[in-house]
Amino acid sequence: MRRVLKLATAGAAATLVLAACGEAPTEEDTNAAGGENAESSEAAGGGEEAGDFKACMVSDSGGFDDQSFNQSGKEGLDSSVEALGIEGVEVESQADTDYATNVSNLVSQGCSITIGVGFLLEDAIQSAAEENPDTNFALIDSAFSDADFAPVELDNAKPILFNTAEASFLAGYLAAGMTESGTVATFGGLQIPSVAVFMDGFADGIAKYNEDNADADVQLLGWDKEAQEGAFSGDFENQSQGQTLTEQFISQGADIVMPVAGPVGLGAAAAASESDGVHIIWVDSDGYLTASEYSDLMLTSVMKQIGPAVEQTVTETVEGGFSNEPYVGTLENEGVGLAPYHDFEGEVPEELTTQIDEYRDQIISGDLVIESPNSPQQ
Amino acid sequence: MSTATQPHQATPSDETSVQRTRPKVSLKSTIVYALAALVTLLAWVLDTPADARTTFQFGSSGDLFRIPNVPVPALGFLVVLLVVMLAATAFSFWRYRERRPLPAWVHVVVGASFVLAFLTFVGAGRSTVIPMVSLLAGALALSVPLVFGAMSGVICERSGIINIAIEGQLLFGAFAGAVAASAAGSGYVGLIAAPIAGGLVGAGLAWFAVTFRVNQIIVGVVLNTLIIGLTGFLFSTVLSDNKALWNTRMPLPRIRIPLLADIPVIGPVLFNQTILVYLMYALVIGLQIMLFRSRWGLRTRAVGEHPKAADTVGIKVNVRRVWNTILGGAIAGLGGAFFTVGSGLAFGREMSAGQGYIALAAMILGKWNPWGAVMAALLFGFSKNLGNVLSTIGSGVPSELLLMLPYVITILAVAGFVGRVRPPAAEGVPYTKS
Repeated sequence: MRRVLKLATAGAAATLVLAACGEAPTEEDTNAAGGENAESSEAAGGGEEAGDFKACMVSDSGGFDDQSFNQSGKEGLDSSVEALGIEGVEVESQADTDYATNVSNLVSQGCSITIGVGFLLEDAIQSAAEENPDTNFALIDSAFSDADFAPVELDNAKPILFNTAEASFLAGYLAAGMTESGTVATFGGLQIPSVAVFMDGFADGIAKYNEDNADADVQLLGWDKEAQEGAFSGDFENQSQGQTLTEQFISQGADIVMPVAGPVGLGAAAAASESDGVHIIWVDSDGYLTASEYSDLMLTSVMKQIGPAVEQTVTETVEGGFSNEPYVGTLENEGVGLAPYHDFEGEVPEELTTQIDEYRDQIISGDLVIESPNSPQQ
Repeated sequence: MSTATQPHQATPSDETSVQRTRPKVSLKSTIVYALAALVTLLAWVLDTPADARTTFQFGSSGDLFRIPNVPVPALGFLVVLLVVMLAATAFSFWRYRERRPLPAWVHVVVGASFVLAFLTFVGAGRSTVIPMVSLLAGALALSVPLVFGAMSGVICERSGIINIAIEGQLLFGAFAGAVAASAAGSGYVGLIAAPIAGGLVGAGLAWFAVTFRVNQIIVGVVLNTLIIGLTGFLFSTVLSDNKALWNTRMPLPRIRIPLLADIPVIGPVLFNQTILVYLMYALVIGLQIMLFRSRWGLRTRAVGEHPKAADTVGIKVNVRRVWNTILGGAIAGLGGAFFTVGSGLAFGREMSAGQGYIALAAMILGKWNPWGAVMAALLFGFSKNLGNVLSTIGSGVPSELLLMLPYVITILAVAGFVGRVRPPAAEGVPYTKS
């Protein structure tokens, strides 16, 4: 019995040590940002409140280093912490069951604004916002809805949304123009609106290319926009599943694949690297930079500027201008966009880039509207 | 295939032998075959237009031009397959009337015909192809970690330790394999580090389960959570700080076995693989023999079935259990290396994604038998990749249903063919000399 007790004590001590390790970076962040807490209010100069302002963020189970949207969200928070001299707290969720606990922990720590990253945190953020009407919340990638899926507006919660279909339309057009086999493919992680919206725009871009070029008949595998059905890997973790799924697309002749599945896309890139002439269109961030081991495969990326959107929301809140009006990233406000072609700069034909630029302008001016049932309601 | 585990059926006279085999003959197979034929007829044959064709692809991506795609008239092929299934039904009924057991190959023939019929129906009239090689190759790839995990489970549970920590062993193996391979600049180094990491997790399990007699399921779950946390923490700190040093992907080269790899369809699937897959073949065959034909196997099974009796004849029960758990952990750790070096991927957070639990289920499905567990793992991998193929060719089946496919098939297999399973008698019970 005594040995068990000893062991338990050792275990508890080890846990404390590990926990201490885990917290260190956050403290460094705040120190680096605002100096010692006592000094920070003077150092920040601008607003006296800045020192007390606590901006908090909860990741989904992908974690903050997913080379995808959680990472972009964290970068946004980090840079606003640095710029405004406020305190930042970032909490990673390990599993879906952590969301509600993590959010309510942050609220009880006195966070001035709590930001949830991802559609999967909708319920957690919504119920916390309803229970704590005095603090502010923001949710990336989803609006709020009640039990019957009817949209709901909350006074203290701001949805941060992206009309990604506009940018992935351009990516689809590019893919259709660049494919040599005449077959391109896409797949998602889970069938949720913030994923499917990429695939809708991609499908439309390919359809537009086929419409513009009478002799083109580019096939899209993995997504049927009409039926809203397609290929999904089933989660955002299992990279080998993404790999085998992509191998299936490749054996169907696809030579450009757009995985909309966070880290699972790395499996797709690994499968592409084993076949000659297969390219990847990355999503969320510029894959040429974030997934740099596969940069030679990255035709382009459909970027969602989550970081700047988070920074903007936090800045507004610090300055007292929080509003519950949704932020919607579009091509126009550069909330979404197409990444540079990097290595493929010289290979994309002149006419194709001109055409894509023209469509970008048309979308911005409103002459061309990309419609998707998954787009955020404006 | 499961004869080796059955209690010895020493039968002195023919009379009792007939008595014994009689209950084994049942109409179950006949009914299942008839149902398969019925589904084929009603759902597929009647629904396929007469002029539709299904294109089968037998080449792999390397030799697509050597083996051309084969278009077959869908309806005609479906009718042929239907006839095969009906013949099997009649044959099994005849065997039932004769009171003779059905050979195992009939199951295989009916199963293959049924799957082929389904693929023919799905591919009928489409411009997309049914890629046979990548269907099977992907199925094998998805099965590899399950097979390693299930073998780990067999070794541990046969000696009486419940190994829920397979998930953690896979994940830690994947992590250590990736880190060691990346630091050393060779995928093969990862294959040395991965089993060590898995073995450490196994040692942790054995330590708590044997020395402190803690509930093994609880220790296993705690270890899994610990490994998820630990690898996630290291991933977001050490590995992402210096990605080039610690987490560069180091694929193992594929080794093509001459001659064998030239067999159509099966060759490129089975014999153009990395060394990890060849190790898996050796492991399965070796374990099947060792468990039932060696002194180690006999002692392991004795310790798991009746530890007191084993102790009485001088087998050190707890020492055996500890070593088996460490060995099992090492095997699962090696399987974890498939997620990283074996697939040419860098490490990613929680990349084992619950496969360890599926491996455990495969082991139970296979009745704690290496060979049976392999079959269950392959069935799972195949049905998962079948879902992938269906979603890529645009079959119109909702993706949620396709993602459920492996689980549905597994449940049907358990209910229909496996029936009652019996775990080792002393499983999960700590042994103390009294």
